[in-house]
Amino acid sequence: MQIDLSGKTARIAGADHPISAALGDRLTGCGARLVPAGPADVLILSAPLLEAAGFDWDGLADTARTEGAAMKARGGGRIVFLLSASAGLPVRRQPDLSARMAGLGVLMRTLAMSLAPEVAVNAMGAGAIGGDALCSGTAEMIGHASVGRAGTVREACDVALFLCDPDNGYLTGQLLCADGGWGAGYGRSF
Amino acid sequence: MKADLDGRVAVVTGGAGAIGTAICRMLAANGARVVVADINGDGARALAADLPDALACAIDISSESSAHEGVAAVLSRYGQIDILVNNAGVNTQAHRVTIDNFPKAEWDRIVRIDLDGTYLMSQAALKPMVARGAGGRIINIASVVGIAAMRLQSPFAAAKAAIVHLTRAMAIELGHHGILTNAIAPGSIMSEGTRALFYGKDGLFGSRTEEFMRHIPMGRPGDPEEIARAVLFLGSPAASYVNGQCLAVDGGWTAGYTL
Repeated sequence: MQIDLSGKTARIAGADHPISAALGDRLTGCGARLVPAGPADVLILSAPLLEAAGFDWDGLADTARTEGAAMKARGGGRIVFLLSASAGLPVRRQPDLSARMAGLGVLMRTLAMSLAPEVAVNAMGAGAIGGDALCSGTAEMIGHASVGRAGTVREACDVALFLCDPDNGYLTGQLLCADGGWGAGYGRSF
Repeated sequence: MKADLDGRVAVVTGGAGAIGTAICRMLAANGARVVVADINGDGARALAADLPDALACAIDISSESSAHEGVAAVLSRYGQIDILVNNAGVNTQAHRVTIDNFPKAEWDRIVRIDLDGTYLMSQAALKPMVARGAGGRIINIASVVGIAAMRLQSPFAAAKAAIVHLTRAMAIELGHHGILTNAIAPGSIMSEGTRALFYGKDGLFGSRTEEFMRHIPMGRPGDPEEIARAVLFLGSPAASYVNGQCLAVDGGWTAGYTL
């Protein structure tokens, strides 16, 4: 999949993890110029995907609000949150993380309403993503994803990249999960 | 976005309609061999003639035999189905009334096409897809009315909500075959039908259209191409870990309470 970001700037704020790192490369590959700070046409707001403690959650939300308002004033852009799929379905083993994700998911939706029509705001929700060591989700989730495997970092990036597409002018306020069907229901037969 | 669907066979029901036509064109432009399936055979043939290596198929999705005959015609031409887009559907135009007065015959017509038709067409296509063992994609076109209920269209609301949940049921049953099922919930999309209801000068709800638009953060109806782009993503190799999702393409309509 390829989207056209030539002439656009992109900025990744928040937590560093394999998905945010790989997404930076993908954005560059689509023609965007990565900027470390300041205004950007595409703003990625990256949440930690495994551990809630020690991260400045309020800082990420503040960045979303202030940069979103500036983006709207400039006349357009895309904001994409990198979240865990627990934004949509809380995970017993990750209570604090799930609560943070749900909060950011609602922030994403309220920003989608307040920043329209200039800015589209959406979120990628990562299920069990990674190889031997998962960078998102828990090992228990894999057996409940009906595709029967963990997802790859690339597959999570693909969803995020789709949400960055400047052509998607009517898609806003959505949490789109890369979770292999984990959140859809009981993927096992009892 | 661009995606590589080179050689994939994509069946689009309701393919001759406004959204269906945009889906067919989008998939064909990205390399798919498209089957324009529609109860309107003339419309399907006209569109297929305009697409490379496409097939027109007159199908009534609410008829089990017609769905199977259509799939047989697709297999005889291409030998495979990779993507099924269950896009065909109807809503009531003449009977904009509340549930206590909703006519049974109109209820049956809408549920039979929208919900039964999605089941019948999926079942017909899935038999060869599962047997082939090469995986595939099913994309069900639901509606925002299946997420947030709206008045004077109760069977449509019920059938589209059922499609959202049927999508999840299909996703968890078919995922281990490599067949991924997702739904798209279009918001209000500009077409001949919605023009007659809302957007035309003499539309049925014309005077209320401005008020209606205040509930949509993007402040405008959507474009069929905007739905087609979401279909392209969900049908593409890039969506290989997306399963059981319902993606609303609705200008933010169902993101929250807008007023």
